[in-house]
Amino acid sequence: MTGTAAIEAAALGKRFGRRGGWALRDCAFRLPAGRVCAVVGPNGAGKSTLLALAAGLLAPSEGEITVLGGRPGAARERVSYVAQDKPLYPQLTVAETLRMGADLNTDRWDASVAERVVADGDLNPKSNIRALSGGQRTRVALALALAKRPELLLLDEPMADLDPLARHQMMGLLMAQAAESGTTIVMSSHVLAELEDSCDHLLLVDGGQVRIAGEIDELLAAHRRVSAPADTVLDAHTVVESRTTGRQLTALIRPLAPLAADWQTGTPTLEELVLSYLRNPQAPTTKTPETVA
Amino acid sequence: MTALAPSPALTSRPARSPHLLRWLIRLHRPALLAWIAFVLVVGGLLLWVGGPLTDASAEAWKQYNACGADGCSYDVKAIGRYKDWYNYTTIAVIAAPFLVTAWSGAALVSRELESGTAQLAWTQAVSPARWLAAKLAVPAVLIAVGSGLLAGLHHWAWSTGQGRIDTVKGWHDLGTYAANGTATAAMALAGLVSGVFWGLYKREPYSALFGSLMSTGLLWSLVAIATPHLWPSVSKVSSLTHSVPAGSGIVVDQGLVTSTGKHLSGHLCGSTTYGHCKTVYAKLDAVGYYNDYHPQSHYWPLQLTSTAIILAVTAALTVASFSLLKRRTGSAPARKAAAV
Repeated sequence: MTGTAAIEAAALGKRFGRRGGWALRDCAFRLPAGRVCAVVGPNGAGKSTLLALAAGLLAPSEGEITVLGGRPGAARERVSYVAQDKPLYPQLTVAETLRMGADLNTDRWDASVAERVVADGDLNPKSNIRALSGGQRTRVALALALAKRPELLLLDEPMADLDPLARHQMMGLLMAQAAESGTTIVMSSHVLAELEDSCDHLLLVDGGQVRIAGEIDELLAAHRRVSAPADTVLDAHTVVESRTTGRQLTALIRPLAPLAADWQTGTPTLEELVLSYLRNPQAPTTKTPETVA
Repeated sequence: MTALAPSPALTSRPARSPHLLRWLIRLHRPALLAWIAFVLVVGGLLLWVGGPLTDASAEAWKQYNACGADGCSYDVKAIGRYKDWYNYTTIAVIAAPFLVTAWSGAALVSRELESGTAQLAWTQAVSPARWLAAKLAVPAVLIAVGSGLLAGLHHWAWSTGQGRIDTVKGWHDLGTYAANGTATAAMALAGLVSGVFWGLYKREPYSALFGSLMSTGLLWSLVAIATPHLWPSVSKVSSLTHSVPAGSGIVVDQGLVTSTGKHLSGHLCGSTTYGHCKTVYAKLDAVGYYNDYHPQSHYWPLQLTSTAIILAVTAALTVASFSLLKRRTGSAPARKAAAV
């Protein structure tokens, strides 16, 4: 293990209600600090539950989660969290909302950051939160999150209700934050394309479990897309997905031995990789070494 | 890694603690203003009832009692006005715990949990337990002061009429008893906490409103039913020549005493001067009335015992609220994690 982990989970599980189903089960992963991490997975995979556990909003039903080296609640002032529906007090104005941030935080709070984020969006500080559009609300929520100068920023579907231009601006804002302060950013989305260009780390959550964890470059390099004759045996490798069409076999594998010279091989795109895992729930879990908890 | 380390300026002095009071006041300003207005209006009315209205009514009763058999004029309106406004203000004072319950159930906690703004607060530098403590403590102080003031003013307004107004309510009148004492202020605190408890439990305003109003109503009824039994009563035996048993106050039990000393509950008929009642009593072998009741000297023992019971329930609900929150959010320090 190198450096501090931003988030570390071991055998983590969360069940809602005593007889409810498991939203997350048996999750183990480690997210090194300083990364920009995409949490992807289908709707209902457990992404929001994972982020809420990390934010200290939910108690795990089993297992453990450590955030910035301590229990999630202990790191409260160094962690920012923006929930999926961007809850804000509708009766307050933008300026009052920022004053709430100043009141509820310690002296890590940087009012100038909040004001800058809000001003960049042409928001009138006197407008009521109630009157804002979805994108404007997201901006205010991010202003609250960034002015805390967090070490860890947890964003649940941050871009969902933004138009492409606003999305671009917001992503720029976040990347600047990551670059300036070394903030670890964890963003969830069910649209991979939203995050692909900005993130260097990936957590694929599916069916309540972490299926892939690692640096995106390493993950891509560890997998090959192969085309080979239909009778090829792939037993020497870890097969994520294989399909035979006519006399042609196409597969996504994690090579464990040198590949035959007559196969056509290529590096998969991130989308191909993620989709292959999602289509094949039986495929083994993949974690790069530094992400093993 | 260096970029992650907080700058020295951030760590060298102790962290400023959050300004929860300022935030709470901004958040609940309408409720705060409404409560202040309620206390001022009802308090003002009570001053009016206890002052000018009582004086006018007492004067009217003086005129009335000075009247001869041939009739005279007295200020009927003054008597009616005192009676009406005394009743309205009594109802207002008793309603305060229910108003508090409704607000607490529908707005204080449940709405925030439903909309996610509670979670917004918890992801600032405020732990859920601290958030709840602030949400309970600040309103509790305002409610205790406000409803305590109203109960005190009501007690004063009631007492100024004693012995001056012929139809003045006795200390044991149900509404007067409730509005005059500390139990109503305690009930308002119980209402606050039950609203919070149901809010945390249901996380939705309508069911929290319903649940908390039901539980405040239930607690109020139980305490009202139990009140006569909260202190040992006094027993008085009196002659059957009176139309009712002697001794006025909160009655626990009354009836007839037989020649063997046995108590027969009920069977009250009236004075033995009526032939019918005389026969009834003779058949039952009754020799007198008995009356187990609380005289006025029991007023404070009864009030304070019921206040203590209500406060104990309030404390239990507070503990339950905190443990419910703790179970949900895991805000308790985990020993394992602390050791890391």
